[in-house]
This record gives sequence, structure tokens and C-alpha cells, in this order.
Amino acid sequence: MNETMDISIDFSRLKLANPVFTASGTCGYAEELADFMDVNQLGGFITKSVTVKPRMGNDTPRVVETDSGMLNAIGLANLGLEAFIQEKLPAISKLTVPVFVNVAGETIEDYVAVAQRLATEQAIAGFELNISCPNVAKGGLSFGTDPAQVTEITSAVKQAAGDKILMVKLSPCVTDISVIARAAVEAGADVLSLVNTFTAMVIDIESRKPVLANRTGGLSGPAIKPIAVYMVNKVFNEVTKERGIPILGLGGIRTASDAVEFIIAGATAVAIGTANFVEPNCAVKIIEGIKKYCDGKEIKNIRELIGSLE
Amino acid sequence: MTEETFKSNRGVFDAVVFANKQIRQRFYRLGLEFSGDGAAAFAQTRPGQFAEIDLSDVKLPPKEEIAEDLQDSAERKVLLRRPFSFCDVISQRGKTRVEILYCALGPATLRMTTLSAGNSVSVIGPLGNGFQMPADKKTALLVSGGMGAGPLIHLAKAITTEYPQVEVTAFAGAKTKTELPFEKPLDEISRQLGFALHEFAMYAVESQLATDDGSIGYKGFVTDCFSQWLGQQRSLSANDTIIYSCGPEAMLARIAKIAEDKKIDCQVSMERMMACGIGVCQSCAIKCRVEGSDEMVYKLCCKDGPVFDSREVVF
Ligand SMILES: Cc1cc2nc3c(=O)[nH]c(=O)nc-3n(C[C@H](O)[C@H](O)[C@H](O)COP(=O)(O)OP(=O)(O)OC[C@H]3O[C@@H](n4cnc5c(N)ncnc54)[C@H](O)[C@@H]3O)c2cc1C
Ligand SMILES: Cc1cc2nc3c(=O)[nH]c(=O)nc-3n(C[C@H](O)[C@H](O)[C@H](O)COP(=O)(O)O)c2cc1C
Ligand code: FES
Repeated sequence: MNETMDISIDFSRLKLANPVFTASGTCGYAEELADFMDVNQLGGFITKSVTVKPRMGNDTPRVVETDSGMLNAIGLANLGLEAFIQEKLPAISKLTVPVFVNVAGETIEDYVAVAQRLATEQAIAGFELNISCPNVAKGGLSFGTDPAQVTEITSAVKQAAGDKILMVKLSPCVTDISVIARAAVEAGADVLSLVNTFTAMVIDIESRKPVLANRTGGLSGPAIKPIAVYMVNKVFNEVTKERGIPILGLGGIRTASDAVEFIIAGATAVAIGTANFVEPNCAVKIIEGIKKYCDGKEIKNIRELIGSLE
Repeated sequence: MTEETFKSNRGVFDAVVFANKQIRQRFYRLGLEFSGDGAAAFAQTRPGQFAEIDLSDVKLPPKEEIAEDLQDSAERKVLLRRPFSFCDVISQRGKTRVEILYCALGPATLRMTTLSAGNSVSVIGPLGNGFQMPADKKTALLVSGGMGAGPLIHLAKAITTEYPQVEVTAFAGAKTKTELPFEKPLDEISRQLGFALHEFAMYAVESQLATDDGSIGYKGFVTDCFSQWLGQQRSLSANDTIIYSCGPEAMLARIAKIAEDKKIDCQVSMERMMACGIGVCQSCAIKCRVEGSDEMVYKLCCKDGPVFDSREVVF
């Protein structure tokens, strides 16, 4: 195989060495992974959500396994903007991989405050706007399901973000994801990432109570992959293709062929979430697997593959 | 990371099964051997630390061998790794052998029972922080409930070899005689001499056994057995004593209360559902007090624990 095969991609105003990211909330702030993988081999890294104030998160149990998936209701537990800058940013600035900070909040002002404060940080390539978290009482998903709010929040953050790349992360929990996608793109999103988790519930039949303390959680993992692939393809056809906006596709990716499916469906890049828990180094293996696939199919440039669904 | 110079002391390693023995109905002891970097990493394992094992590809036992009450949950697929601590770690000639005491109670642990010598499994570890050793203590009291015995057996070995001046006594509880996580409780005579359990007697550690139904040993909760025993110890100095406990959370809460009342230091090994085991997902939160304030914070069982000072934990 051609070891040096070029699978680099254009990702909005960035050029990335390869199309594989790790997904927000599944790889912390990168330093935690030092013993398990070389983060710099990734195409991009996305942090756990950062909010203006620290958040304790929900009570436990916060996770439960399901057939081929898992539910989580972490509740955006994170150290808050200031501690992120003090404690995490110095290590992040030593990375060579482009790092995106996932931003969450309860109000539009919250999102703007985080973006504004970080807009001048050299260490950061851009933001991923989490308007799709199903596990918080305020903000989160409620922003991401109403096109008018998506427009408002995207344009407000776009202004605050300066020249940083703005990704907007979409929820799959909507009737027509293209409506939301269009709202985000028209308000200035540089990239769309999809999907976040699906709101779901697991019931303990002994106690007749939900297993998660938060009652509901977000379903992720291989179980959601076919729906995510479908949504990526739909948004690609209906919204992003004609506008030349890249999609970061995610949801249930575990193998290189999963990743290739997303790319054929229309994703320019992909992100790995739940699968990191099973195999912390799997993103790097997936990068190798994508190269192998391209090599085997005599694909000279991975760009040929993007949205190549017949 | 690429520029890192020190060799990592944890990682993802393949281990080869060298033994997997049923010791009781539902209870097993699994032996895993590491070579190379895995051997070096696991040789450093401290009692109370754990590993995340991938059991998703391991086959289920034949249906007729699965206990009636587990037939249903056996049907569930396994995606995530499962956390286990060790009851023994031995490092020799470049190989490290670890043993895990486990209970078959769900889809992953049922699969675990079919592992046999020569099989390979992927293991992440060693993870978390183990028990703090009783360097400045004279007495160490080990209290376990059910499967919690595993890491305390490992701890008994570590204390007796590294701190021979410390006197160790163990208390082990279980629901009933058939649900003891021990191979062979010693005979009546040994029991009267204070050595109820072979696993602790091996290290010359006295032990007492309690079952909820009294089918063997003390009748009642191990916490009551322990608290009665403690009440009889006239010469025990609280300052020179430390309690180590591992088991169901309700039991740990009672032990923490006993320790607080008697002003004895106490360390508890906690459990939470874990998705990653390495501190990135925030699923394993444990509510903790902040010393000197009314504030509460969540710490991570996998990273800050699983062993905590009992005064810190909000049960
Ligand atoms: C740090 C740590 C060390 C552990 N050490 C051991 C050990 O040495 N030996 C051993 O037998 N078990 C140990 N466990 C528990 C073990 O991880 C669970 O029994 C196992 O995950 C069950 O998987 P399953 O698929 O068979 O059952 P599941 O169906 O997943 O679970 C069966 C039952 O166990 C509970 N459970 C599942 N996972 C956990 C968990 N991580 N913590 C607490 N309860 C859980 C579930 O709520 C359910 O009631 C440890 C857990 C932790 C967190
Ligand atoms: C434990 C856990 C925590 C997550 N935390 C966040 C988060 O903080 N912000 C966010 O935008 N998405 C978060 N996600 C969603 C993932 O980034 C991803 O969108 C989703 O899990 C689907 O991908 P997967 O199936 O590959 O995991 C989280 C997912 C999991 C499983
Ligand atoms: S299990 Fe993921 S942070 Fe503890």
C-alpha cells in the first residue's frame, strides 16, 4: 500500500491532513488521551463542551449500555470557560492538530461569551456550536430544534467568533433536519456537524423507573449509524452541496468502512465518538483503513469520494 | 504524545488467559498474563486499581448452562468494556500475571466465564488510584461485601509484605453460603482460631465471615459483625488504625458512618457505571465534599478513585 497516500481535505478555510476527528465529550480535552493515542495524527480534535460557568452535571447513573449503543446524560459537566483557559489551553496550544472548542450554554449570551473570549486564542482553529444537547434543562436541544433560534444563535456567535471556523452541531431529534441545516448555513455556519445523540430512555422493569437519573439520555453508538448516514446524505443533497459547505458526519462510526459510508453520503470529514471508549486508538486505525480503502479502489484523491453516492 | 519522553505506565494491552476457574455457583477467578510492555505496566498495579476489559467478542455459554434469572439479560449485546479490579498480581521473568475474582451477573460477565487458557483479551490499564498504604498505622481492618473481596485480598497481600508491622484483620460478607466469592472457607477449627477464609489465611491474616442468612459464619450484615468486633477491642487506638472497605454502596455508607463515629481513618472503593474508565466521558461521577466548606463537587470514580477517603464521599 502507498503509505504516504494523501487523504487531506479542505475543511472550510482549513486544510486538514485527513478527514478523521474525535467527537466532543468522548475524548476530554486531549491531554487525558496521551497514554493511548497520538492526538496529532487526527484530522481534527473537538473538546468536551465548554460553558461560561462550570457545570457539575447530572446525578448518576449518567450512562447505560443498550444493544449496540449507549445512553448518556452527563449534563454538560465541564470546568467552565476560565478554568478551561487556565488549565487546558496551555496543553492544547502545544498540539499540532487543529482543535475545535465545543461551545454550549443556556442563553445566546452564554454562547457568545465563550466564543468571544476564545476568538483571539491562537491555539484554537474554531468552534463547534452544541445546540443539540438533549441532557440539560435549559438551552441545548431547545435551540437546535427551532429554525428561528438557530438563525439567531448562529449569527450572534458568527460575529463573536472572528475569523475562527464555526461549525454548528445539529440534533437529529427534528422532523426535517434540512430546515435546521439551512437556517444554520444561511446564518453563517462554515461547517455543519451531524448528528448529536437521539433522545432515548431505558427502563428498569424491576423498579419501573428510568435507569438514568436524568430519566432520559442521548443514544449514541453503532445503533444510530444508519440514521446518521441517511441524515448526512439528506442535508448534503438538500442544503450543503450547492453551497459548498462541508459536513462533519458522525454517529456510530466504529470502523473505516463506517467512515467511508459517511463520506460517500456527503460528509467531508467524520468524527468518532462512542467507539473511542471501546478502543481509545480507533480513530488512528480508521485513518489507516480509509487510506487502504482509497488505495484498493484506486482513488487518487479522497475528494472524489465525497458525496459520490450513486 | 509524540514528544513524550517517559514510557507510559498504562495503555491498551492484549493479555492471554492462563486460568478461569469456577469457585462457586456464579463466582469465578480469571487469570490473565501480560508480556512485554503490558507486563511492565501491570507489574506496577497497586491494590484497588482496576482495568477495563473488552468482552464484546467473547462467546456466551450454552443456553442450558446459563442460570434461569440471567437467560434474559444474556441476550443483550455487549458494546462497552467492563471494569474489574484484581485479587492478585505477580510479576516474574518479564511476565505479569493478574487474577480477577468475578461474579457472573450480566451479559459481559457471563461471556467472561467461557474464556479459557490461551484465549486473548484486550485490557486497558492499570487505571485509577489504589488504596493508600498504612505507613503510619498499626492496625488495618479490611471489610468486604460480596465481590468487594477481590481488591481487599490483593491489599492484604501488599500490606503483609510491605508493612509487616501492621496487623491486618479481614471481615467478609455475603448474602448466603452459596454466594461466597471464596474458594474454600476453612473448617470449623480454623474458624474458631480466627481464620475463616483461606484467601486471607494465606497471608496469615485473620478473617471473619458473615452471611445475611447465617448459613455460614456470623448471621447478619458484615457491617454489624465488624461493628460488634470493633466494640470489643479495648486496646485499639483510633489514630493507629485504618479501615479499608469495598462492596455495595449501602455497605460502604455504613462503614463510613462507623469510621466517623470512632474517628478512624477509612478508605472506600467505589463503583459507578463507566463508559471509558480513563477520565474522558464524565459518566462515573461521585459526589464529594470539599474540605472546610459546604460545597459539593463531582469527582470521577475512574480517575480520582475508585478509592476515596470515606469522609469525602457524600453517600
Ligand atoms: C472500579 C471497579 C472495579 C470492579 N471490580 C470488579 C471485580 O473485581 N469483580 C467483579 O465481579 N466485578 C467488579 N466490578 C463490577 C463489574 O464491572 C460489573 O459487574 C460488570 O460491569 C457487569 O457487567 P455485565 O455485562 O455482566 O452486567 P450488567 O448487565 O452490565 O450489569 C449487571 C448489574 O451490575 C451493575 N453494574 C454494571 N456495571 C457496573 C459498574 N461498573 N459498577 C457497578 N455496578 C455495575 C448493573 O447496574 C446491573 O445491576 C467492578 C466495577 C468497578 C467500577
Ligand atoms: C458520554 C458522551 C458525552 C458527550 N458529550 C458531548 C458534549 O459535551 N457536547 C457535544 O456536542 N456532544 C457530546 N456527545 C455527543 C457526541 O459528540 C456524538 O455526537 C454522539 O455520541 C454520536 O456519535 P457516536 O455514535 O460516534 O458516539 C457526547 C456523547 C457521549 C457518548
Ligand atoms: S468512566 Fe469515563 S470519566 Fe470515568
